[in-house]
Amino acid sequence: MDATPHATPTTSSHAPPDHRHALAFRHVGKRFGRADGTSLEVLRDVSFDVPAGSVVSILGPSGSGKSTLLNMAAGLLTPDEGRVLVLGHETSGTVDWSRLGYMFQDDRLLPWRSALGNVALALEAGSIGSRERRSRAEHELARVGLTDFAGAYPHQLSGGMRSRVALARSLVTEPDILLMDEPFSRLDAQTRTTMHHELLRIHRERAMSIVFVTHDVEEAVILADHIVMLSPRPGRVHAETTVTLPHPRLGTPQAQALVADLRAAIAGLSSDWVI
Amino acid sequence: MRAPADTAGTPATSRTGLALRRTGLLLLLIALWWAASLATAPYVLPSPDRVAQRLVTLAASGDLVANLLTTLSRVLAGFALAVVIGVPGGILLGSNRTLGAFFEPVLPVMNTVSSAIWAIFAIIWFGLSPLTPIFVVLMTALPLIITNVWQGTQAVNADYVELAQTLRFSRLKTLLKIYVPSILPYFFSGARLAFGFGWRVSLVAETLGASSGVGYRLRQASDLIQTDQVFAWTIAQIAMMVVIEIGLLAPLERHLFRWRRDVRS
Ligand SMILES: Nc1ncnc2c1ncn2[C@@H]1O[C@H](COP(=O)(O)OP(=O)(O)O)[C@@H](O)[C@H]1O
Ligand SMILES: [Mg+2]
Repeated sequence: MDATPHATPTTSSHAPPDHRHALAFRHVGKRFGRADGTSLEVLRDVSFDVPAGSVVSILGPSGSGKSTLLNMAAGLLTPDEGRVLVLGHETSGTVDWSRLGYMFQDDRLLPWRSALGNVALALEAGSIGSRERRSRAEHELARVGLTDFAGAYPHQLSGGMRSRVALARSLVTEPDILLMDEPFSRLDAQTRTTMHHELLRIHRERAMSIVFVTHDVEEAVILADHIVMLSPRPGRVHAETTVTLPHPRLGTPQAQALVADLRAAIAGLSSDWVI
Repeated sequence: MRAPADTAGTPATSRTGLALRRTGLLLLLIALWWAASLATAPYVLPSPDRVAQRLVTLAASGDLVANLLTTLSRVLAGFALAVVIGVPGGILLGSNRTLGAFFEPVLPVMNTVSSAIWAIFAIIWFGLSPLTPIFVVLMTALPLIITNVWQGTQAVNADYVELAQTLRFSRLKTLLKIYVPSILPYFFSGARLAFGFGWRVSLVAETLGASSGVGYRLRQASDLIQTDQVFAWTIAQIAMMVVIEIGLLAPLERHLFRWRRDVRS
């Protein structure tokens, strides 16, 4: 793709991983078996890094294997080829999974738990006492501005509030890496912009790497330090772009120029990529 | 579709209105009963005041409470057995597809067997003993509980299970924090149904094969053509079920499922 003053295309790095990388994908390939005995190749030779402390956006059309990549980083799926490293450790080996947070496309709040109970859920895997769970969950809810809604059930909350609760749930464990799978795609534009500000504020406050999956070019440009563009299935790294623009980026001419560049690059890539 | 809520009345006044309507209905029924009893012999249709007197003497002798508790304890015993067997059974059938498909036809067949048939079998096996009504309640409640818990396991949202995986929950924690709360509404509606059915069939079983309990006393009274006693026992057992429903089950359901949007208000 074309270089612009704001974007520096780089080739994917093949250097050995080190602890400066929160995540590293090395020649990752993945297939899913189908009922008729054939298999579907979803990812092919995907390599890229998530430098510690950065926001990396994985940008790709629907079906390009973005969620599959996240699920491999979370240890829910294993790659058929290549390796995935979390904080320098192979996902096939011993990884401290509590250092990862995961936020889904839907908010996935348990309807029978209050906002506070949903946040506390993330602390219930280990042996943390209930009082500490409660106080940490309260603190986390306060940080996303929902103290007054701690006792509310999910159906009593707006879409934006539910998103905040889900965000608080994925942050309450103080993860080093936050995996986000199109987390705001179901929100209206205005609420989504608010959540973008919130996320960038949270990222400034904590030493945390974020992997943000989206199919929305503008969202990637607004949030990411680094954009990894996937081609349609089977997903390959089509291009990588480093974004050095200062925040906030929404509506600035430089950001708009970058969005236009990326859209132009996509236009030749996939006809069914809704942008 | 539900009609839109009445905007004129506050919840408090509409609740008083409901209580008034219910009291009115009760008084109307008693008045009709009384009018009809004037035209018939007491052994066909005893008057309300005669039945009330009978209720008072039964209560004073301690007979009333003792027999209600006897029957209730049998229903609870059969019901508890059904829960102990039916909950793990339903979870097992729901989580193992082969097993579920194999046993699927058993439940509808069990449901079609009349409680009178279970009672006859129970008399053959257990004779005139408390085990007879307990067995009949168990056999009636069991398929209802298994079916509902089974349905509940199938309704567990796979997304929530995936969430538990990302949080690294153990199998036990996933069971307790995702499966159990998801199945609970299904279990509760099955258990309510089973308890109501269990109560009714326990009376049938006691009529046929017991020497105490409300069902036994009903048959005794009918054999002696003490129609006022039959009425007294009938009213007493209906009253007890209403008290259990309003005083225990409805508030419990409201509390357990307060997170639901559509909880009955
Ligand atoms: N568990 C699975 N079994 C079979 N096919 C799958 C599975 N998960 C995803 N796929 C398929 O893999 C492709 C990529 O899926 P996904 O990673 O969800 O893409 P994206 O998140 O980019 O939309 C899709 O065609 C999807 O149908
Ligand atoms: Mg996806």
